[in-house]
Amino acid sequence: MAFYDGLFNTLGLSDWCAGGSSAAPMSMADLLAQNSGEATKGPFFPFPSLDNLNESCGSIPQSRDVTKGIEEGFLAAKPAMKSVLDPITQPLSWLLDGALWLFTTTPWFIMIPILVAIAFWASRSVAVTVFVAFAIVLMGLVDHYLVAMQTLSIIFVCTGISVLLGVPIGIGMSKSDRFQNGAIPILDLLQTLPSFVYLIPLIFLFSVTESKLYGIAIILYAIVPVIRLTNLGIRLVDQDVIEAANAFGMTSRQKLLGVELPLALPNIMAGVNQTIMMSLAMVVIASLVSAPGLGVNVLRGIRNLELGVGIVAGIGIVLLAVILDRVSKAALTRVDMTQVKH
Amino acid sequence: MTQEPKVSLRGLYKIFGANGKAALKHVQDGMGKEELLVEHKHVLGLQDINVDMQAGEITVVMGLSGSGKSTLIRHLNRLIEPTAGEILVDGIDVMGLNETGLRELRQGKMSMVFQKFALLPHRSVIQNAAMSLAVRGEDEATQMREAQKWLDRVGLGGYEHHYPAQLSGGMQQRVGIARALTANTDIMLMDEAFSALDPLIRTDMQDLLLELQEELHKTIIFITHDLDEALKLSDHLVILKDGAVIQQGEPQDILLNPCDPYIEDFVSDINRARVLRARSIMKPLAKGAKYAGDCQINDNLESLIASSGGETSKTYRVLNGEEAVGQIDMLDLVRALVPRISSTQA
Repeated sequence: MAFYDGLFNTLGLSDWCAGGSSAAPMSMADLLAQNSGEATKGPFFPFPSLDNLNESCGSIPQSRDVTKGIEEGFLAAKPAMKSVLDPITQPLSWLLDGALWLFTTTPWFIMIPILVAIAFWASRSVAVTVFVAFAIVLMGLVDHYLVAMQTLSIIFVCTGISVLLGVPIGIGMSKSDRFQNGAIPILDLLQTLPSFVYLIPLIFLFSVTESKLYGIAIILYAIVPVIRLTNLGIRLVDQDVIEAANAFGMTSRQKLLGVELPLALPNIMAGVNQTIMMSLAMVVIASLVSAPGLGVNVLRGIRNLELGVGIVAGIGIVLLAVILDRVSKAALTRVDMTQVKH
Repeated sequence: MTQEPKVSLRGLYKIFGANGKAALKHVQDGMGKEELLVEHKHVLGLQDINVDMQAGEITVVMGLSGSGKSTLIRHLNRLIEPTAGEILVDGIDVMGLNETGLRELRQGKMSMVFQKFALLPHRSVIQNAAMSLAVRGEDEATQMREAQKWLDRVGLGGYEHHYPAQLSGGMQQRVGIARALTANTDIMLMDEAFSALDPLIRTDMQDLLLELQEELHKTIIFITHDLDEALKLSDHLVILKDGAVIQQGEPQDILLNPCDPYIEDFVSDINRARVLRARSIMKPLAKGAKYAGDCQINDNLESLIASSGGETSKTYRVLNGEEAVGQIDMLDLVRALVPRISSTQA
């Protein structure tokens, strides 16, 4: 006799309860209890959870049916989702594979000067440029050049797509309060969902051999800051200036391109910086789903308990992070400087 | 003034709040600002504004903060939508315009100068000045030529390629004025344009504006909380209190005949000798009077006192150009200097 038997009897539901018996497989604990021949003694007043209610009434599903239902629902929807998402996301695979090929097949004596030149162009700072050159050479010295380039290529593509998608979404949010209210919970979800959880549904949807699998995971994780800060940046634009733009009869397009975006640029750049950092964080975890790069070595360090391999790869990631952060921050301050030239 | 007013406001009401139209009824039934706020949680911005602004004149709207003057000026180009009433510009009802029409009005008929300058910080001075033309889609050469012309006119030649943050407040507002002038509109709206500047610069800017107005004859609507400024600039003065017009007319007239204790209070602190003009207090020419000298109708009383050397027995002849139009007895002049209630009583 279970605790809630009396409840169902008084409610007159005993017939309905007897009608259904849970088809879910037994748990090990139940099996043991059955074999030992004695009923497990629960607490005096058990919480009315699905499992406890199920003991008194077979028609009520057990908790494991819930997880099972989610799984079955997802699997049922999978073919439809796949047929839509597959073609849409296919270019991402091409981009990632192309970038990977470009970064790894370009000889180092061409690639390193190009990267250093980009660093100088973006930051206009000799110190930052020298540091970038030093860090890349250092990684090359311990034969991590190739894996570092793999990681870098993934970050370039994913950050680029995040900015391309995130800035328009941020603009949309800044223009419509309703859109903002709808989007913020989704952004919160994307930001707080543990990074491993991103991978689970993606593994079901796409084949692990496809590069878009980790591409999507990285973009979903990293796109949030650039959306948020674009929205914030545009909303924070000086209302007096907006009023002046209106008073002189600017169209909303002229206002956006000529006033709002330029004035929001420092904030947007701060968002891009955060997006780069977050995609670097995710690219390591994405090595679980066959993303190449430094993350693979970290994973090897954990799996095989190869301490040295893991630590060298870890330091490589730190170096990459510092490079990307310093270059994008230097670019950010440069953008800010055009606002106040004293 | 029989000519058609350039801008006229008819029965304009503005009530801020969720349901302005419903609150409007209470106001029209005579509910006051405080009552409306307490009972209906709506803020009365403007009530029953009727003002005609003549072409080529400077209309000054004066009031203390919270009197609704900035709200009023934003109705003229519909930066704020009125709750009720008509706004006529050149006889066209601004309320009837659709989005495109309104944009054309803002681009082609009105330009605005702001208290906080509101320049684009990422554009150079000349790009800021050319903003209105860029908005209209004029070609680059025209933009630069016009902007340069007006920057030179307001005394900013040589600063074209600086950025606003590099300029002082006074210079930034000169850019603001150049921007409005470059737009080449008949109507200029100036929202407390000089209030953020320090007193000396403010006087400079007022002189600049009067000088420009002498040659351009624009229709200027100027908002200020400073009565000295209002009296110096205005051809037509509108005094606003709690969102309602309490007196409007020729400034000299308001000074001599304030119709409300609120205004009397205001004008009692003014240096009347500097503000009042000979034409305001002159009497018709009397036959056989002996004149100690001549003065022009727009001379202020200060200059008259200076030339009389403080003597009160003299009589001066008032000329309009060459023609004698009246006379001033120095005793009348002294009487006119005393306000109906003096500042010590107030």
